[in-house]
Amino acid sequence: MTSLVSLKQITKTFKSLPALDGIDLEIRSGITGLLGPNGAGKSTLIKLLLGLVKPTSGAATFLGYDVIKDGRKIRNRIGYMPEDDCYISGLSGVNAVQFSGCLSGIPKTEALRRAHEILDFCDMKQERYRIVDTYSTGMRQKIKFASAIVHDPEFLILDEPTSGLDPEERDALLNRIRLLATEMGKSVLISTHILPDVQAICDDVVILSQGQVRLSEPLETLNRTKEPSFCIRVLEDVDQLADALKKSNVKVTKNPDGTLTVAGPSTGLAEIIWRSAFDSGVSIQSLTPARNSLEEVFLSTVADSRGTEGEP
Amino acid sequence: MPINDVGYRRLKNEKTSSLFRWMIICNTGVQLALKSKWVKRIMFTAWLPVTYWAVGFFFIEKSLSADPITAMAMSEGIDFSQVSRMALEDTLVNRFSVFPGVNELQEVFETGDTPEIRNAVWRWMLLTFFRYPQAIIILFLVGFIAPSLISQDIRSRAFLLYFSRPISKLEYILGKLCVPSIFIISVTTLPALSLYGAAILMSPDISTLPQTWDIPFRIIIATFGLVIPTSAVALMLSSLTQESRFANFSWFAVWGLGHGAWLTIVLATSLQMDQPLFHPDVIQSEVVSNWSAISLYNSLGSLQAFVFGFETFAESWRGIVSLFGITVFSMTILYRRVSSPI
Repeated sequence: MTSLVSLKQITKTFKSLPALDGIDLEIRSGITGLLGPNGAGKSTLIKLLLGLVKPTSGAATFLGYDVIKDGRKIRNRIGYMPEDDCYISGLSGVNAVQFSGCLSGIPKTEALRRAHEILDFCDMKQERYRIVDTYSTGMRQKIKFASAIVHDPEFLILDEPTSGLDPEERDALLNRIRLLATEMGKSVLISTHILPDVQAICDDVVILSQGQVRLSEPLETLNRTKEPSFCIRVLEDVDQLADALKKSNVKVTKNPDGTLTVAGPSTGLAEIIWRSAFDSGVSIQSLTPARNSLEEVFLSTVADSRGTEGEP
Repeated sequence: MPINDVGYRRLKNEKTSSLFRWMIICNTGVQLALKSKWVKRIMFTAWLPVTYWAVGFFFIEKSLSADPITAMAMSEGIDFSQVSRMALEDTLVNRFSVFPGVNELQEVFETGDTPEIRNAVWRWMLLTFFRYPQAIIILFLVGFIAPSLISQDIRSRAFLLYFSRPISKLEYILGKLCVPSIFIISVTTLPALSLYGAAILMSPDISTLPQTWDIPFRIIIATFGLVIPTSAVALMLSSLTQESRFANFSWFAVWGLGHGAWLTIVLATSLQMDQPLFHPDVIQSEVVSNWSAISLYNSLGSLQAFVFGFETFAESWRGIVSLFGITVFSMTILYRRVSSPI
C-alpha cells in the first residue's frame, strides 16, 4: 500500500503552545483510525491536512501535494466531515448537499441529481426536503456525511462520524464507510473516541497524545498478543476446566465475562485445551484466538506518553 | 425506498471552473434572502418611486420640447419654448432649493442650450432618485438581508463546510458581498437605467441619445460607489456577532447615529446663524460642510453628487475619503473575522 500522507517533523504552535510537536507520520491507503485524548492535536492535524492551518515548521505532503502551498488542490480531491454541528441555515437537506457539490465544482443540475443519489445511499428519505435547521443530530450527521462524499473524493476525512447516531444507524454508517473503502477504493481517515468503531473497520491505527504520534501500527499487529493464546467460552463449570488446564502447565486467566484466556506454547496449545476439556468433562462453546483490547492499547499508550512527558 | 437506487456511483462529469465558485455562494445567499416575505415587499416598494420619477421625466420633456402649440407660437414670433423652459427652471430652482445641485442646475439654465439643459436635468433627476427614495429603501433592504449573512454562518459553524472545499476566504467574502450588492443594484441601478430608457422614449427624437450618452455610465459608477462601502459595512457588522439582531441594530445605529450627529451640528449652526434649519447658507456653512462626512448618508450623497457632476472633487473629497476609509476598515475587520474561526 502506498503512503498518501507524509508528515516530516511537523510542528504547529499557537502562541508558544505546541499543538503538534515534531510529528513524523505516514498514512497508507485503506481506513486509518486517528485516536487520542481531548487536546491531543487531532483537529489541528486535520486542519493542517486540509491546508487550513500552516505548520510552524516541518514538511508535509498529502496526495502528493504540499499542504503548505497546495491547500486548494488537496481540498479539491478530498471530502471532509467536520465534528461540529455545522450546517447552512435555511437550506433543505438536499439543497445543502447540492450546494456542497457545487462548491466542489459539480454543475448545478448534476449536483442536484448527485445529491439525491447520495441521500438515497445514506438512507435519507423524504426528510431531505426539510430545512436543515429542524433536523435531529443523527440527520445532520447523515447530511454532513453525504456532503463529504457528494463530489466523489478519493480521500475522506471523517471527524467523529458516528457521534449522535443510534446503534442501528451507527452500524449502517460504518458499513457505508467500509463499502467506500473496499469497493470504491477510497482511503479514509477517521478521528474518533469510539474505539469499537476503529476495531470494526480500521486497517491502521494512529494514536496522538500531547501533540506527538505515540503509536502508528496496523490494527492487526496491535491485536496480536505477545504469546499464542486463546479465548475459551464454556457451557459448564469454568473453574473445572481452568484447574485441568493449569495441570497441563499453561497460563490461564479468568476474565470478568466468564471466559478463560489461555496462553502457552506456540505448537499444540489447541490440542492441550481440547484434551483438558475432555478430561474435565466440560463442553467448549467457543474457542477463538485471543487478541489485545484496543482500549488497553490506547490507555497504556496514552499513560506511557504522560509518563515520558513527566520525566526530566 | 427510492424508485431507482443506484447506490454509490462514480462521478465522471467535468468540473466547473474554479474562478466562479464565489457565484455559488452569492446565488445561494440571494435565494435564501428571497425566501423572506419582507424582502419581497421591500423590493416591490423599491420600484414604486420609478413611476413618480417617470412622470417627472415626462413633464420635463414636455417643457423642453417644441410641441405643435409652441411651434405655432414661435411662427408668430413668440418664443414659447423659452417660456416653458423658464417655468421648468423656476419650478426646479425654487421648489427644490434645498436639494443638492440646484445652484449648478440654475447656472446651466442661464448659460446652456436645450441639449445641455436636458443632460443636466436628467442627471439631477437621477441624482435625487438615488439620493432620496432609493437611499432610504437600501437602508431597510440591506438591514433585512445582510445582518444574517455571516453571523448565521458563525452561529451554525458553517465556515468549515465552506473552507473544507476548494474555496478561499476571499472568494467566500466576495460571494457574500455580492448578495446585498445584487439587491442594491436591483433597486437602484436597474430602476435608474429603466428611467433613463423611459426618458429616451419620451424625448422628441433619437438625438437625445448622443446628448445624454454619459448618464448610463454615471449610473453604473454611482452604483459601485454605493454598493461597495454599504455592503462592506453591513457584512463587517454581520461578522462581528453570532446574533443577527445585534448586527441589524448596529446597521441602523451606524446610519442613525452618524446622521443624527450631523443634524445636531446643522441645528446648532442654524440657531447660531439665526436661519431656518435647512437654509442653503446653513448647509453650505464651513462647520456643517466640514462635519458632513460623519454621516454615511451624506458621504454617499457627496460621492453621488460628484459622479453625477454636481460637485467638484474639492467639494466632495471629504465624503470620498471617508467612504474609502470605511470600506478599507470594514474589509480588514471582515477578513480577520472570517479567518479567525479556522
